[in-house]
Amino acid sequence: MMTDDVTIPIDVGPVEIAQERGTPASAQREVVFDIRDLEASYGTTTAVSGVNLEIYHNLITAMIGPSGCGKSTFIRCLNRMNDLIPTAKIDGEVLFHGQDIYGDGVDPVEVRRRIGMVFQRANPFPKSIYDNVAWGPRVLGMKRDLDERVERALTQAALWNEVKDRMKKSALSLSGGQQQRLCIARAIAIEPEVLLLDEPASALDPIATAAIEELMHDLKRDYTLVIVTHNMQQAARVADMTAFFSLEVGDGKRTGVLVEYDSTDKLFTNPGDKRTEDYVTGRFG
Amino acid sequence: MRTSFQDELNLLETTLHEEGALVLRALRGALNALEQRDHELADEVIAFDDDVDQRYISIEEGIQSLLARQTPVASDLRLVLAILHVNLHLERMADYCVTIAKLSKLVPDVEPSPRFIEGFEEMGSRCEEMIRIALDAFANRNLEAAESLVALDELIDRANRRVVERILELGEAERMREYGLRMVLVSRALERIGDHAVDIGEQVAYLLTAEFREFTDASHPQPA
Repeated sequence: MMTDDVTIPIDVGPVEIAQERGTPASAQREVVFDIRDLEASYGTTTAVSGVNLEIYHNLITAMIGPSGCGKSTFIRCLNRMNDLIPTAKIDGEVLFHGQDIYGDGVDPVEVRRRIGMVFQRANPFPKSIYDNVAWGPRVLGMKRDLDERVERALTQAALWNEVKDRMKKSALSLSGGQQQRLCIARAIAIEPEVLLLDEPASALDPIATAAIEELMHDLKRDYTLVIVTHNMQQAARVADMTAFFSLEVGDGKRTGVLVEYDSTDKLFTNPGDKRTEDYVTGRFG
Repeated sequence: MRTSFQDELNLLETTLHEEGALVLRALRGALNALEQRDHELADEVIAFDDDVDQRYISIEEGIQSLLARQTPVASDLRLVLAILHVNLHLERMADYCVTIAKLSKLVPDVEPSPRFIEGFEEMGSRCEEMIRIALDAFANRNLEAAESLVALDELIDRANRRVVERILELGEAERMREYGLRMVLVSRALERIGDHAVDIGEQVAYLLTAEFREFTDASHPQPA
C-alpha cells in the first residue's frame, strides 16, 4: 500500500483466520474487523447493542434490516463516523486487524483514511471532477504522481472513460449515478483498505444501480466492502456475507440487534432465525 | 406482509394438490380398465390426461410469473422450487396412467391366471397409497412420512419382479407372449409411478431441510 509521508498509528496485526461463530467454511478468510459487544447510543437512546461479528478480507458484507434497526449506526461505528455526533457513545470493541479503533491514541482521521466511506446521497464538492478526486490525496500529502492517482481511482470506479475529456468540468454537471461513482473514486483515491457504503444506490435509477453493483463486484478484488442497504435483493445480488439487524422492543424502548449473520446464500435460502425468515420473505411488519 | 404473493403461492399449492387428486383418479381408472378390459374407460383415462396437463401448465405459468415478479427467498423459494418439481412428477405419473390405459386396449383376448391381475392390483394399490402419502407429506410438511416412501417403494419393486416371473410362466403361445410383453410395460409403468412418489417425498425433505438429497441412490445401492 502506498502511504507517502503519512504516519500510521495502527499496526496491522497478525492474520487471523475465522473459525468461530458459525462462519461457513467457504469464508475462512482473514478477519479485517472483529466487532465485540458493540453498543452505540445517542444520548439516552440505544441505537444498536450486543453486536458481535467478524468482517472478512476482500468480501462484500451487507447489512440489511428494517428502518431504525441500527444498521447505519453500526456501519458508522466502523470508521468512527459517529464521533462527529456530540451525544454519540460507543461501547465494546471494534478491532481492525486486532487493534481497537476506539483505543487510546488512535487518530480518527487516520482510521477514516484506512476505512473510507460513501454515503447515500452523492456529495461531491462543488469543484471540478479532478479536484474532487485529488482533494483527499492532496490533504494527506500524497502529492506524488497525482494525475496518475486520480486516473487510477476514476478507472477503478468505472468512471474514467466517461469523464476523461472533461476533468475540469464541475462535478455537479455529472448525473446522479456518475456523481456516486465519483464519490467512490474520491474514497479510493487515498487507497483505503475498507470501503463502507451506506445505501450507495438508494437514490439511483436501476441502470445506475446496476453500474454501482457491478463496480462493487470489481472493487472487492482490491478492497473489503461493507454495504448497508434497505434493498434486500441488492444484498442478495452483491454480498458474500449478510447480517440481518432487527428491532427489539423492551421496557418501551426499541433497540437494534444483530439477529443473524451468515453467508448470503444461507441467509436467503435457509435462514436460521425465524425473524430473518419473516423479514426476507416479506412477512415483516 | 406480501399478501398477494402469499395468495399466489397458496393457489399454486392448491392447484398442485388438485393435480395430485386427478392423478389418483387416472390411476384408478387405468387399473380398472386393465382389469375389466373396459376400452371405453381406457379412452376416458386417455382423454382425462388433458385435465392433468391443464393443471400442470397452469402451475408452470404461475411459477414463471412468480419468479419474474416476486423474487421468492428462503422457505418461499424452497416451496416454489418444490412445487415446480412435484408438478413435473405428477404429470409424469399421469402419463404412465395413459400408457397403462393404452396398453389395456392392445392386449389380445387371452385368459391368463387371475394371480396375474391380482399382482397388478397389488402394485396399483401400493402406488395409490404412495401417492396419497407423498401428497399428504407435502401438505402437512411431514418429513417422516416422506421418508417412509422408500420402504413402500421397495414393496412395489418386489411386486414388479414377481410380475416378471409370472410373465415367464405364461408359455410359448404367440398371443400369450404378446400379452406378456404388454404386461411387462404395465408393470414397469406402475413401478415408475412408485419412483416418482419417492421423488415427491424427496422434494418434501428439501422443502423442510433445505438439503438436496436422494433417499436412495440407484447407482450405489445399499447392500440389503
